[in-house]
Amino acid sequence: MTRYSLLLGATALVLAPAAALAERGSSGHLNIIYWQAPSTLNPYLSGGTKEVESASLVLESLARFDDTGTMVPWLAEEIPTVDNGGVSEDLTSITWTIGDGITWSDGSDLTAADFVFTWEYCTHPEGGCAQASYFDGVTSVEAVDDGTVRVTFDAPTPFPYTAFVGSESPVIQAAQFADCLGARAPECTDANFGPIGTGPFVVDEFRPNDVIELSANENFRFPDRPYFATVTFKGGGDATAAARSVCETGEFDYAWNLQIDPTILSGMEAQGNCTVVTAFGTSVERLHMNQTNPDPSMGDMRSTVAGGPHPYLTDPIVGQAMSMAIDRALIVEIGYGAGGQATCNVLPAPEAYASTANDGCLVQDIEGANALLDEAGIVDSDGDGIREYEGTPMRVLFQTSTNAVRQDTQALIKQWWAEIGIDAELRNIDASVFFGGDPASPDTFQKFYADVEMYTNNFAGVDPQAYMANWLCSDIPGPDTQWQGANIQRFCDPAYDELVAEMAATADLEERGRIARLQNDMLVQSYSIIPLVHRGGVSAHASTIEGILMSDWDSELWNIMDWRRAE
Amino acid sequence: MFDIRGAKKLVEVKDLKMHFPIRSGLLQRVTGAVKAVDGISFDIYEGETLGLVGESGCGKSTCGRAVLRLYEPTSGSIILDGKEIAHAPFDKLRSLRPMMQMVFQDPQASLNPRMTVAGIIGEPLSEHSKMTGKERLERIYELMDAVGLNRDFANRYPHEFSGGQRQRIGIARALALNPKFIVCDEPIAALDVSIQAQVVNLLEELQDRLGLTYLFISHDLSMVRHIADRVVVMYLGKVAEIGPRDGLYEDPLHPYTQALLSAVPEPDPVSHDNANRTILEGDVPSPANPPKGCNFSTRCPRVMDICRQIDPEVREVKPGRFVACHLYNETTPETADNAAEPAEA
Amino acid sequence: MLTYTIRRLILAIPTLLFISFIIFLIVKLSPSDPTAGLPLTIPPEVREQIRQSLGVNDPILIQYFKWLKLMLWDEPLHLLEGWTGLNVAPDGARIISYQTRSPVMELIMQRMPQTLWVVGTSYIVGILIALPLGIISAYKQYSIFDQVGTFVSMVGFSVPTFFTGVLFIVIFAVNLGWFPSVYNTTHVVTDWPSFVVQVKQIIMPVMVLGLYNASQISRYMRASMLDNLNQDYVRTARAKGLNEKVVVLVHVLRNSMIPVVTVIALNIPAVFGGAIITEQVFKVNGIGQLLIIAIQGGDVPVVQTVSFIFAVLIVLFNLLADVLYGVLDPRIRYD
Repeated sequence: MTRYSLLLGATALVLAPAAALAERGSSGHLNIIYWQAPSTLNPYLSGGTKEVESASLVLESLARFDDTGTMVPWLAEEIPTVDNGGVSEDLTSITWTIGDGITWSDGSDLTAADFVFTWEYCTHPEGGCAQASYFDGVTSVEAVDDGTVRVTFDAPTPFPYTAFVGSESPVIQAAQFADCLGARAPECTDANFGPIGTGPFVVDEFRPNDVIELSANENFRFPDRPYFATVTFKGGGDATAAARSVCETGEFDYAWNLQIDPTILSGMEAQGNCTVVTAFGTSVERLHMNQTNPDPSMGDMRSTVAGGPHPYLTDPIVGQAMSMAIDRALIVEIGYGAGGQATCNVLPAPEAYASTANDGCLVQDIEGANALLDEAGIVDSDGDGIREYEGTPMRVLFQTSTNAVRQDTQALIKQWWAEIGIDAELRNIDASVFFGGDPASPDTFQKFYADVEMYTNNFAGVDPQAYMANWLCSDIPGPDTQWQGANIQRFCDPAYDELVAEMAATADLEERGRIARLQNDMLVQSYSIIPLVHRGGVSAHASTIEGILMSDWDSELWNIMDWRRAE
Repeated sequence: MFDIRGAKKLVEVKDLKMHFPIRSGLLQRVTGAVKAVDGISFDIYEGETLGLVGESGCGKSTCGRAVLRLYEPTSGSIILDGKEIAHAPFDKLRSLRPMMQMVFQDPQASLNPRMTVAGIIGEPLSEHSKMTGKERLERIYELMDAVGLNRDFANRYPHEFSGGQRQRIGIARALALNPKFIVCDEPIAALDVSIQAQVVNLLEELQDRLGLTYLFISHDLSMVRHIADRVVVMYLGKVAEIGPRDGLYEDPLHPYTQALLSAVPEPDPVSHDNANRTILEGDVPSPANPPKGCNFSTRCPRVMDICRQIDPEVREVKPGRFVACHLYNETTPETADNAAEPAEA
Repeated sequence: MLTYTIRRLILAIPTLLFISFIIFLIVKLSPSDPTAGLPLTIPPEVREQIRQSLGVNDPILIQYFKWLKLMLWDEPLHLLEGWTGLNVAPDGARIISYQTRSPVMELIMQRMPQTLWVVGTSYIVGILIALPLGIISAYKQYSIFDQVGTFVSMVGFSVPTFFTGVLFIVIFAVNLGWFPSVYNTTHVVTDWPSFVVQVKQIIMPVMVLGLYNASQISRYMRASMLDNLNQDYVRTARAKGLNEKVVVLVHVLRNSMIPVVTVIALNIPAVFGGAIITEQVFKVNGIGQLLIIAIQGGDVPVVQTVSFIFAVLIVLFNLLADVLYGVLDPRIRYD
């Protein structure tokens, strides 16, 4: 399918007949509030969601993901595949054709050289590029001709849609950033705050951490879009205030990331001025069960492979009982509302990768959990209400970051676990320390000096290959790697490592789906990880705005050129 | 010595009461009153110095301030030169201000720290007279000369002066409008002993020269003996005794006056040690809750039953000698005699 | 007075150097990581590279002296160039914010107008409310006016601005719809209607902060007036037969203002410091919001520079308060 036909088709579908009559700027002014304000408009200098999404109004990439996670050609003529010859048979290169007649907002032509420059910019060793992982394994980006870009990888890459795909790795203009390579990147304040893009809007004024004023790009490739003439992108305040400004005072048209008490948000929505929209990506709030021994008496060997396995959490029966005791629906109701769904999978989406083998956990079963433990001979032998596992009382230290919803969840889980004879000591750590990754701090989630910890993780884009490779035996954090490594619960299974290798060599999407589901089931059924809630983005827009297709796979604002105000 | 016979009464104070409200509780409601001055009467004759003595806290200073209407008196009347001032409206009072002035105890506190000497002395002039700037300055210099201050200091601030000099500034300011009557509220109490005499001499000299009338408030009995013509003794907001200086000092009538005078140190160590002192026991009762009957009944060495029942009135028991004590009350001679005898024995 | 001022200014230099070093140590030694706020999807190697490019891993003393040189030499030259147009500024080196990768001074300059507008106006409004309130409260001590004034200032002082601010928004923005709940920092006053818009958007934050300031200053004013009202010199003034208005407004007020004026001067640096909470509630995005975002994001250069500027302002206004004291109170002499 070509870019034009797809977009026109989507537009026609969504916007109904009136769309055909609308013209550029006809909807007037759009007010967007992001309660965390963007600090720069160069997504390569800051990887934060707020920067990436605000920049997506200006900067674009070859392809974007729509609200279903399907790739849509954007600056490219079409999505290259092995079938259409865009991807080489050996899976080591991908060749993109740039759409005809696309210009930068300053009127100059978008050429393959801009893509080559973007790659050089982000991979410069002194630049500290925040999106460098999108260029992992890329050995070269070359301009075949002005309209064709070839990306070459150092190894067969079955999912080559990383560089220049999605809002995190957009193309920047070579002419504008030519003097900003490497260590000189911060000197280009004007360029970083007002990048020239190919997108529907151009930056009129940027105030870091405060506000962006944008207006429609006169040179935008679709003559009738964007429908909004100007946009104010305001930052600051908090999520409740942002929701209020859309749903109650009507000062703003779109508010992002409304992680607030679900009852408050639904109360606001009930007033009828706004519509709450959600999009589910891959974020899962989960419990990690430490497979190594975190006992403080171990000293430096705490929570390392060398320190030996955990006295009882490595037994799947224990994890299974702990999972069965949890009422995920209640956690969603209390803490997440529209922004959450109970899940039993580490990999809940996209649909092709979502397993259904574990859905039994969606119903709480405390009796079953107790029976399971009793049957396994894990009983309370000394009558203190706590079961003993081979003589070790089951008392777990349960840590997470400081956050009201997480503390509520902790308290609920503690109560349920108490009902199956497992005692939990709760602990919460300031998020900047917990996620800070300081190797000197004992309180990071990587060090995992606890039995159980809870947080959310996800992956960007739609391909789970790299994400599922997190649980390789070799990726376990430890002192030898400065506690780097993504295999937080220290899961290790040679069979799983084989699946990861198989995935890396498989290009067929259906086959990749099968492997991913297998990996998910293996992880979940080891009960080293207990998925709780599939978390989505929650946003709200004024009822008068049409055309919003919220996507968690890309920038929420990915299709802002189609947004319009109802008559 | 000043002779009151034939002299004109300049100030007549009748039954003056000055009660301060006591506030307490959450809303600071009035729950009682401090009876600082509780119904006192006395006259001041033109040209005389009336001494007002008593212990600290007996209401001397309050009385002096109330006489000048620096407080709003609770009741009673004050007639100054034939004009009622206790309840005069503000405008009328303002026109009477030049006639009556005050010299304060603490010369540091009583002078506005942010005004120069010339400003302090000159302010009443610009308020009450129509002098030009030049005339006013001339008058300021004149006053500074009169109190013995160097004219060059006119533009200095009060804190640059010594205590004695500050009191001279205070006196010059009081004199600015040619008053007839000046209340001297412990004018020397805050000064060094060596300076006290200078200031007292200045006051006497000014009195002779300008024909001033003083109400001289002091707890220093020797100083009052030196300067006063007549003396009022106050105890706990009331008059205990009034009399001419010599008579009162030589033959005090009221037991409180007797006790006060017996406490005055003698210059001769032998007679000082041999003096037959009356030592008062106990503390002065609170003016918020004075005892029933005579205010002095709780400490009086010659107390009688009646003293605890009836408050004695001020009576003239000898010519010019007024005293408030049941001992001299003819209506109860027996009790008085009975009670008096053991004390005199 | 001049020698005193100069001596104080010279003494301020080591003080400020010491303060800057302490601030630096506090900021550096606290657990903060400029990459902590990034999504977990960004891998550790990339984070390490980002830290490297920011210079976070340099030895602490080197980082400090780098910053100090930029702060004391390069930045003033840039400022000079901005004001005079002379081409004196050195190329390149400036204090760069970790988050925005732009010069910290430009961020501060950008934030200053709205902070001065909102916090400055609220300070003036606060003073204008506080002075008459304090004077009348003291003059009519224990009157109904005084009781009500005491109650109101107690409430104003003890109720936090994040509560009053949200309360104001719910009442005046949500229910009544009179004022906007979000402050527009790009609004430019050019004519009467745009001035009205500015007044409307500024009125809620100004009143929230103004009430807080007013309660504080009116307490000082009242206490100081009470101190002076019972002084003998006031009695002297009355004995002079002065009009009561003159007694209170000239004699008492002029003396009572001495401590109040110094308190007002001492609090002026807080105006430049912005109001972190109120700015956040009304989305004013001034210096206070800049600082709190920088703290949250581990943006050491911003925290360090903003705190240092506060320190300079505090030292300067302390000096100013002392000098003012000397000017206002003839009893104080600095020789």
